[in-house]
Amino acid sequence: MSAPPLLEVDHLVMNYVTEKGDVSAVEDVSFTLHQGEALGLVGESGCGKTSIAMSLLRLQAENAVFKSGEIRLNGENLLALPEDEMRRHRWKDIAMVFQGAMNAWNPVYRVGDQIREALDLHFRPRLSDAEATERISRLFEMVGLNPAMANRYPHEFSGGMRQRAVIAMALSCDPSIIIADEPTTALDVIVQDQILQELKKIQRELGMAIIYISHDIAVIAEVTDTIGIMYAGKLVELGPTVEVFARPKHPYAYLLLSSTPSVTGPRRKLAPLEGEPPNLLNPPTGCRFHPRCPFATERCSIEEPPMETIADGHRVACWNWREVPVSIAQEARP
Amino acid sequence: MTRYVVRRLAQMVLLFVVFLTVTWFLLYALPGDIVKQKFAMNPNIPPEARQVAIERLGLDKPVLIQFRDYMINFFQLDFGLSFNQYPRKVSDIIAERLPRTIVLFLTALVSYYYAGFLAGKYLAWRRGKRGEMAVTIGGVGLYTVFYPWFALMAIWLFAAELGWLPISKFLNPDEWRNAPFTANQVFIRLFVTVLAVSIFMALVVLLANRIRDHRPRALAKVGGVALGALLFVWYWWGTAGGALMRPYAGDIAEHLILPVAVLTAVNFAGIMLLTRSSMLETMREDFILTARAKGLSERAVRDKHAARTALLPVTTSLVLAVATVIDGGILTETVFSWPGMGEVLVTSVSNEDIPLALASFSFIGVMALVGHFLVDILYGVLDPRIRVGG
Ligand SMILES: Nc1ncnc2c1ncn2[C@@H]1O[C@H](COP(=O)(O)OP(=O)(O)OP(=O)(O)O)[C@@H](O)[C@H]1O
Ligand code: SF4
Ligand SMILES: [Mg+2]
Repeated sequence: MSAPPLLEVDHLVMNYVTEKGDVSAVEDVSFTLHQGEALGLVGESGCGKTSIAMSLLRLQAENAVFKSGEIRLNGENLLALPEDEMRRHRWKDIAMVFQGAMNAWNPVYRVGDQIREALDLHFRPRLSDAEATERISRLFEMVGLNPAMANRYPHEFSGGMRQRAVIAMALSCDPSIIIADEPTTALDVIVQDQILQELKKIQRELGMAIIYISHDIAVIAEVTDTIGIMYAGKLVELGPTVEVFARPKHPYAYLLLSSTPSVTGPRRKLAPLEGEPPNLLNPPTGCRFHPRCPFATERCSIEEPPMETIADGHRVACWNWREVPVSIAQEARP
Repeated sequence: MTRYVVRRLAQMVLLFVVFLTVTWFLLYALPGDIVKQKFAMNPNIPPEARQVAIERLGLDKPVLIQFRDYMINFFQLDFGLSFNQYPRKVSDIIAERLPRTIVLFLTALVSYYYAGFLAGKYLAWRRGKRGEMAVTIGGVGLYTVFYPWFALMAIWLFAAELGWLPISKFLNPDEWRNAPFTANQVFIRLFVTVLAVSIFMALVVLLANRIRDHRPRALAKVGGVALGALLFVWYWWGTAGGALMRPYAGDIAEHLILPVAVLTAVNFAGIMLLTRSSMLETMREDFILTARAKGLSERAVRDKHAARTALLPVTTSLVLAVATVIDGGILTETVFSWPGMGEVLVTSVSNEDIPLALASFSFIGVMALVGHFLVDILYGVLDPRIRVGG
């Protein structure tokens, strides 16, 4: 972990300006991503995962405003770049497999041509036709598609194939980072698993960094080294995946994990996670989780807990993390 | 694609036969037996001539036989004789009028669709910015204006007051006094050359789409379109026949400007609003986000992805527009004294000239169907999903 990080998100604050007020979608989020690392971001729907992903490419919605913070790629603050320089980083350095990537293809162009479009934009000198065709064929083989399919239109692909082709397109310009936002939610479970395993294999082989985004903690657990738990626009716990899974420190992470069937072991005792996530137009004061938190004390509703490093590479934002039972398995006993 | 074309063609022919049958029976079943009134009981026609006319027109035969004969003749392009301009052939009248109408309205159609599409694209992209309001208000204002009044004002301003353009009619009789051609020959030549060039361009683009490699494909398309334009210029300027006819074609073109401009002004707003909403919808699609994420410039995203896909619903609306080419033209033809099919239709119906009315209706039907067919093909070319489905 001594190499300088590839990507640093540093105290990022992003709001959506709406008629009813500002939506606090990303609140003081910091994390780093090293070369070859697989980071997972987990959280309930609406907690700001996609907002972070879009910010990294600076493709945030029109009404989004960055209040403060930086996103540094190899030390360069992306938020300060002029648009045309930012464009050069897109796909070349950071590529994306979108949420709902099923519709990521323009129906009127051939799939191969849509990949070619990215190659033409980012390869200097431009690839010749033969080189491009060769490259697309190799990408297709890598994701388990017949290279001849590159000449077909998107509607001729099944859902799983389209998703594989999206991955091929994401890999096409050798990006150092791939963001996969719910890459498989629209697919059936078996295809979902196949594609995830392949994506993981390719990522390890090519040594690129990846950010997996999902609301399904089980999916993330299988493929990541580091995991970040998000709640209501905030990153509340960040640490090595194994560590967070075995000993979650944040009450929200603890409840989330104990209400999820175990990935490997026997089914854990379900502890209820009550209530609804807050409205981000008007988030709770102090710790945003306090209305739902069984460990909450008076201080929680007044003061916001800072991110505290509790072990190497393991950080938690909670006043009372020490109160959280050490092991879920122990707590499961009545 | 071939199967798709053949199927559509067969459907089209079938539909036309049904259309013709219904129209025939509707007109012949009109109460009061117009046919007999016109010939059998017309005291101005001497009895012998009346008898000849009735026999020549086949009016003495049973209805079904008449119908059978009409259908057989129709498909041999024999539409019978006009009642009112008896014994002039209906086919002659139509052959004279049809090219004028087609040239005027097709030009106008292309013009207002193109203007509307460009304006709509602009509006969608500049949503919420200045300029959007002005274009929208201007377009919708023109769209809702009382059309004959607007056309007359345009004639008054540009032709009478400023004298920039000819007042009306489709040619200047003084220049044509010693012309070696009839107006119709020129119309047809104009129409044929434009059509030939368009077909040539379309074919080149279609064939070029089969080229797998990127740059040769783009090159073939641009080259083909340029070559088509060059062929057109070469014909009218470079060949003896073209050069001889060019002044007359120029005269007709000059007469076309005002009606085409007026039709464009009042019609483009509809296409503009359609394009705008279609673009806005397309821009919410995920693939637009993909295009941006790939690092494409806003311009490329708009032109290559948003506009190209937004073109599909606009093309669909072309079907309806093609069908209204003739009937919507009656007003225009009247205001601009443009002697085309619209006028024939009105007079033949009001004079109860059944063979002429029937043939005129049929040609509207044919034009609607052919237009529909062409748009279908165009749609198949534009949207790969249709090609396979057909
Ligand atoms: N353009 C926008 N304007 C206003 N609010 C927005 C906008 N986009 C997102 N939001 C709000 O911001 C919050 C975060 O949204 P985001 O899409 O980042 O969540 P997410 O974690 O990706 O959720 P999901 O799991 O449903 O994809 C949500 O409350 C959402 O309603
Ligand atoms: S800070 Fe307080 S409310 Fe927030 S998670 Fe920790 S204990 Fe719960
Ligand atoms: Mg999301």
